[in-house]
Formats: sequence, C-alpha cells, structure tokens
Amino acid sequence: MLKRALVALSVFALLLPANAFARGEFDPTTEFEQHEWVPIHLGPLNLSITKAVAYLMLGSIVTIAFGLVFMRVRFGGRSGRKETVGEMIYEIAQTQVAEQGLPSKAIGRWFPYVATLMLFIFMVNLLGFIPLPLTGETWHGVPTWGIYAATSSISVTLALALLTFVFTHVEGVRWNGPVRYFKSWIPEAPKPLLALIVPLEILGQFMRLISLSVRLFANMLAGHILILTFLGLMFILQSVVLAIVVVPVAIAFYLFEVIIVIGIQAFIFAALSAIYIGSAIEPEH
Amino acid sequence: MLGTILAATTGDVTKAGKAVGLALGVGLGALGAGVGIGNIFGSMIQSVARQPELRGELQGIQWLGFALTEAVVFYGLLGSILAYVLV
Repeated sequence: MLKRALVALSVFALLLPANAFARGEFDPTTEFEQHEWVPIHLGPLNLSITKAVAYLMLGSIVTIAFGLVFMRVRFGGRSGRKETVGEMIYEIAQTQVAEQGLPSKAIGRWFPYVATLMLFIFMVNLLGFIPLPLTGETWHGVPTWGIYAATSSISVTLALALLTFVFTHVEGVRWNGPVRYFKSWIPEAPKPLLALIVPLEILGQFMRLISLSVRLFANMLAGHILILTFLGLMFILQSVVLAIVVVPVAIAFYLFEVIIVIGIQAFIFAALSAIYIGSAIEPEH
Repeated sequence: MLGTILAATTGDVTKAGKAVGLALGVGLGALGAGVGIGNIFGSMIQSVARQPELRGELQGIQWLGFALTEAVVFYGLLGSILAYVLV
C-alpha cells in the first residue's frame, strides 16, 4: 500500500512540469540554454544577467554565508558542532590541497585562493543539484523548479581556469624572474630533440587551461544530462509506466553525483590550481 | 560485406554516421577510463593492505588520479558532441 502510494506520488510529481508534455518531445539540451533576463551590453561586451549569472551570484552569497556561519573563530568560546564542520573543511583545504601543491614559502599567500576556489566550486556544484525556481519558465504564472549548475557552462569554468592560469605565470615570473622562469619550461634534452619538445611544452601550458576547465564543465554537464535524459525517457516514449524503472535509476545517478562527484571536482580543481601555482614558483630545475 | 551494406543504404545517412561517431567517441573514452580507474583503485587497495597507516596520505593522491583519469571520458564526450553538432 505504502509502496503504491509512493509510486503514485513520484509519478504525480514528475507529471507536474506539464509544459514538457505540451512540447510532445523532451530535449534535455534546452535546459542549458542561456536567455538574457537583464540585458547589459557594454560595447562589444555582453554582461547580461542570465541563468548562469544568477546561479553564480547565489553561489557567492551561499559561500560567504557558509564561511560566516561555520568558520568564524570565536576565541575563548566553546567550540560546538558548527566549528567542527568548519575546522574539518579547513583541514582538508590545508593538508590535502594547499600543502600538496604549494611550497611552504607561498602557502601564506595562496592558501586563501585555493581554499576559496574549493569552497566556491563546491557550493556552486551543490546548488546545481537543489531544485530552485530559477528555470526562467513559468507554468500558469508559477515559476517552474529545475536543476541547473552554473559550472555546467563552459564560460564559467573557463573564467575560473583563466584565473589560475594568469596567477601561475605571474607568480612564476615574480619569484624567479622572467628569464629563469621561462627557461625552466625547456627540459634537459639533446639539442635536436628540443625543437620538437619546446613547442609541446608551450602547448602543454595552454592544454592545462583546457583540461582544467573542460573537466569541471563536462562533469557537471554530463551529470545533469544523464539525470534529465533518464527522466525525459518518459516524455519521449510517452508512457508513465516507465517511471517505475526510470525514477530509481535517475535517483541513483543523482545520489552518485551529489555524494561523490561534486566534492571531488571541487577538490580536484583547487588541488590542481595549487599544484600548477606551486610548480611555477619552484620549477624543478 | 561492406559493399552489401553500402548498397542497402539509401537516402541521407549523415545522421547515422554522426550517431555512430558519437557512440564510438563516448564508448572508447569510457573504455580507457574504466581500465584506468580500475587500476587506480586496485593499487590503492593493495597499498592500504600493505601499509594501512599511509591511508590518509594516499587518499589525496588517489582522488587526484581518479579525477584526472575520469576526465578522459569527458574529452571523448566533448569531442564527439562537437563532431555531432558541427559536422
């Protein structure tokens, strides 16, 4: 009895976004289109507020609020459960991220950056899996709820990767001087091979930019598309009975994404940023 | 064999080719990443079995390796989606 009620309830909940039914067919990629809600154009620059921008703003607010609530140090006060959570995250950021990549002389300067990066990406990813009425679509005047992550837009992740890219080379030049730093790109190899290796090394520096941004972007995009496609099968095949199979699978993928993927991606982005900046500050030779 | 198939196809087969390309890209990417991820977790289990006290240190490296390997799927996915959309 309970089981049947549960199935009926989940089917009913999934039928609610009726506009998907009205379209006749379901295309998950429409969820990732950006519409200009508040158009702001500065010359050739398009700074309009879109769905991704709204999610990023929300992410920043949540990150700041999280820091204020969990990480405010109260000297002399008793430390409760809140402080324990804050300390745990701080410890991960310090021992697993910063100390793995950054040399000890640069931790003071770059720990705040990598820790912020980790927390911010985690929060934006997490917001991507909480249904929010920010889809921009309405159903009889009521905004529909949906999931969307700002990090599933390549522009967002590329901007974050560009930050790390710029900081890497600025720090490399600042600590080593331009000549020594760019010389450190050239590995020790026999002279004839250098003509082949040096372009590859320079290309590799730019490939870091691509790999850093694409990893986060494609992970989040694929996760969302996976969930939406499985739920969308009901609308594509026009059969509600499929919910018995499709909903548990979608829930399994959802849990996998929330529990494992979003944390790891945030950690990886921060850890790789730390490693890149660290390796620029202290080149091996 | 190929000649028979080619003779049997009529009309526009661009879409079919695109679909095959997409599936091959994602599938082969997943194949490589599957082998790699299996390797990483297998080695992790062995290392922890031999030296359980190193677990904490190894875990960071393990997740780093996991994410780097897993990203290979997404390069394949992105490449095939590009091919699917652009060609």
